[in-house]
Amino acid sequence: MKLIFEKNIKDREGYSLSQDLFEEIKVEKCLPEYAIAKDKKNLVEVSEVDVIRHFTRLSKMNYGLDDGFYPLGSCTMKYNPRINEKLASLDNFIYAHPLAPEETVQGCLEIMYDLKNLLCEITGMDEFTMAPAAGAHGELTGNLLMRQYFLNHNEKRTKMLIPDSAHGTNPASAAMAAFKVTEVKSNERGTVDLKELAELMDEETVGLMLTNPNTVGIYDEGIEEIEKIIHGKGGLLYYDGANLNASLGIIRPGDAGFDLVHLNLHKTFSTPHGGGGPGSGVIGVKKNLIPFLPTPIVAFDADKKKYYLKDIGKNSIGMVRSFWSNFAVLLKTYAWILSMGPDGLYNVSETSIINANYLLANLKKYYKPAYNRYCGHECTVTGREYKKYGIKTLDISKRIMDYGMHPPTIYFPHFEPYAEETLMVEPTESESRETLDNFIEIMFKISEEAKNNPELLTSAPHNTPIRRTDDVLAVKKPILTYDDELKSKNN
Amino acid sequence: MSNKIMENLYYTKSDEWLKIEENIGTIGITDYAQDQLGDIVYLESIDKGKSIKKGETLTTIESVKAVSDMNSPVTGEIIEVNEKIEEDSSIINKDPYGEGWFAKIKITDQEEIKTLMNAQKYSEYRKE
Amino acid sequence: MRYIPNTEKQKKDMLKSIGVSSFEKLIENVPEGVRLKGKLNIPEAISESELEEKIYHIAQKNKNFYSMKPLIGAGAYRHFIPAAEKSLLQREELWTCYTPYQPELSQGTLQSIFEYQSYLSRLTKMEIVIPSIYDGASATAEAALMSLRLTHKNKVIVSTLLHPHYRETVKTYLAPHEPEIIDLPYTEGLTDIERLKSLLDEGVAAVIIQNPNFFGGIEKLAEISELVHSKKCLLICVTAESMSLATLKAPGDIGADIAVGNAQSFGMDLNYGGPYNGFLAAKKQYIRQLPGRMAGETVDVDGKRAFVMTMRAREQDIRREKATSNICTNHNLNVTAANIFLSLMGTEGLYQTSLLNIKSAHYLENLLVKSRKFERVFDYPYYNEFLLKSKTDISILKNKLLKNDFIPPLEIHEFYQTDNLKNVLLFAVTEVLNRDDLDKAAKILSE
Repeated sequence: MKLIFEKNIKDREGYSLSQDLFEEIKVEKCLPEYAIAKDKKNLVEVSEVDVIRHFTRLSKMNYGLDDGFYPLGSCTMKYNPRINEKLASLDNFIYAHPLAPEETVQGCLEIMYDLKNLLCEITGMDEFTMAPAAGAHGELTGNLLMRQYFLNHNEKRTKMLIPDSAHGTNPASAAMAAFKVTEVKSNERGTVDLKELAELMDEETVGLMLTNPNTVGIYDEGIEEIEKIIHGKGGLLYYDGANLNASLGIIRPGDAGFDLVHLNLHKTFSTPHGGGGPGSGVIGVKKNLIPFLPTPIVAFDADKKKYYLKDIGKNSIGMVRSFWSNFAVLLKTYAWILSMGPDGLYNVSETSIINANYLLANLKKYYKPAYNRYCGHECTVTGREYKKYGIKTLDISKRIMDYGMHPPTIYFPHFEPYAEETLMVEPTESESRETLDNFIEIMFKISEEAKNNPELLTSAPHNTPIRRTDDVLAVKKPILTYDDELKSKNN
Repeated sequence: MSNKIMENLYYTKSDEWLKIEENIGTIGITDYAQDQLGDIVYLESIDKGKSIKKGETLTTIESVKAVSDMNSPVTGEIIEVNEKIEEDSSIINKDPYGEGWFAKIKITDQEEIKTLMNAQKYSEYRKE
Repeated sequence: MRYIPNTEKQKKDMLKSIGVSSFEKLIENVPEGVRLKGKLNIPEAISESELEEKIYHIAQKNKNFYSMKPLIGAGAYRHFIPAAEKSLLQREELWTCYTPYQPELSQGTLQSIFEYQSYLSRLTKMEIVIPSIYDGASATAEAALMSLRLTHKNKVIVSTLLHPHYRETVKTYLAPHEPEIIDLPYTEGLTDIERLKSLLDEGVAAVIIQNPNFFGGIEKLAEISELVHSKKCLLICVTAESMSLATLKAPGDIGADIAVGNAQSFGMDLNYGGPYNGFLAAKKQYIRQLPGRMAGETVDVDGKRAFVMTMRAREQDIRREKATSNICTNHNLNVTAANIFLSLMGTEGLYQTSLLNIKSAHYLENLLVKSRKFERVFDYPYYNEFLLKSKTDISILKNKLLKNDFIPPLEIHEFYQTDNLKNVLLFAVTEVLNRDDLDKAAKILSE
């Protein structure tokens, strides 16, 4: 489809200006020559109608959650309630300036404060920072907190333990805190190898970053032992909340001995993913880590009956962003928790776990499970049976598109020999049994096609706006802007 | 899956090969390694004249969906670099044991060669 | 529960199909000892109508901000947002979808990212663009980290007129690498170039300068650039008010190595501080050290133009601890918003709006200085923000402004505790304040 730049018609306009342009003021008189650009920055000239049509067409080339099943493992693609969007668009919130006097933004602060307390109860933690803008941003904040904690205790710890099944963000975040990453192997049950963990854990180790249920969708039954091993050597236990959707009202990270936790509000807590954010990666901590939180946190002055932003003090790791939070995301989270209540939250986890096990039970006839056991809120199966027909898991996932669904996460996690050629399927609580049955039927059909007509898979997808892309070309001859003006100027 | 193995070469567990001609070693990655990586799109340039220890990273190889360190199988000085593969990294995929060689190293410690695998051992190591 | 389709009966049937007698069987490996006893102690669920009423009620505890004209900016600016943008952003395909890992199902998002990269490249005059770090502060911090990687040096000079939150964030991000961070002072409202001369040496990785700076001042970037490059250091230019990019000299024009910024001004609501959009642009030669995600053009198997996420081998999901950054989820919907905004504004619209910001800010400043209730702190060129020292106690002024539906300017002493900046306000004026608003504000302030 044409780029917006290819719809350019000279002198067309998509904007309106006020009548009073302060013509009497001359910019040349206000500013010295060095300040002003010689030429106008060339953007585009299109009308409002052109823009509406352009982006409407673009949107139709996307597959959204409202279009159908979206079983991306580890992504928790659940329904985004419309009331939350409506509430987050109220004028009093969207026009609130982050540096407006505190007495004028008591509503915003109340929501942040209330939400913080709800999240403390849901996770079993003592305090929350609302600052982190995304899961990985929360992980970075968490790693900096752990670093600061040990600096403050005059301990030099630099090694971070991370299971081989972890998301790439875990090791990348630890590295940003200048920690050395040591990988902990998973065992044949898909969980942390306790013996190896005990051998690796020492007094130079910061701690362990753990996702639970982990990225293959399995609850780590060794959690009590893990806690003893890490805390036994004075380490800290970090909970990656990417998979909290399986835990609501069942197990709280705080009760299981975790010292800090990040939550992906754009996963478990229903806020939209936006095609890659914005999300929020708020961090909850136990008391011992509160003095190190990013400054400020939201607090309530009981005497003055006033909410305010409280400075954390000299031990804070500092700020991790400008201003206070991705407030609009927090507001949607708050609205969702209030709509669910304690029973609703439990229902979320119960339903998503039943959904995932239902899929696993029915898919395993055609796709070998990575682990022969019940799963949490997502299940991991493999396409390795179809290798002999020349079919890769990639081909299976592309074929799913032809049936009008979004494919599951593929090739992650990847660690041999258990988890290779994986399809990780996460059917959230938003998915009905009928949707799941339809998916199972399609997966069966594809398994038959793989055996009888593999070419259908290797050439898939056929019905999408574009087909398989040449990713090698995109790297070897990168085109990263349209008709690169700079290049043409330089040549 | 592609997994061609050449006689008369030495191999590492991280899938590099080494060809010995007197005290000069030519190094590259195995057919198995190139197959696992897929289309190689880029590699970091290798410094000629640099000394390198066994197991140290010689360069990093990038494909579209993977990245892999290429480690030196032996200790020595890098005396020649294959500039052709820096220009067109697809040569590595096409001919990993021939045109796709990475660098030549003046070996300082012949003893290290004994720690490497021969073709038969490597073939057993990479047997599925 | 209206968000959960499966009924209790369906769940029971599904358990039967799985082959277990109860849900408990599925979670039996969650040890008893760590299970939650009883239920979560949070309020019982409320209905949609109750929820709406509750949140509307809380919203009333804020000021009625729509009709409050802001005289404050300081890194968050209220500009007008066309209805067409908001309407398009309600298309579910754009906001309910995931990160575009599957290009066949995500051409809308990918093409939009590509177009926005092109706009930012044109506005900053930089060759390559990472369209979405979280915000301006985190983008600046990522740029600082990138400069350490590129130069293998560990010293950074940071202008004290970089937004205080950005400065804090840079320090937080860099701390684990134990760098030397040198504060570069200002003089007459602009970064002190003489001091920069004496601080610069070849051990410096990068110099970070904001333009317009936190006081609104327009820096002598060309001069700074020459100086910085003469010592083989990198120059990182920060734009906190992106509206200025339409009229001011671009970072690329003066030879910046990395340009970062906060694009909130491109069609994003204030939202009490977020989410906004932080971008990072750079010279092409640094492509493999960039943090974050970008889209590129390629073709599909039929030769049709297609867009994909590209240069992915830098990223955390592939390179793990060796990645250039840990960024995964970013602020993509803000990218979509900015892209639509810039498409609507176009060349002329953005240019005129940016000019209007300059003019109306100067209009108000003139009125206030003429009133003799204010005096200039510095004689410096500024964009749409400026400092003025009040002869009246500013707490009185702030209250008067609030009563008259203006969000008061920032009291600069909150961020810069020097004597010369006591009782000084940082005003911001954007196109949402018309002549009547400015006359009214001036009247209130000079009464």
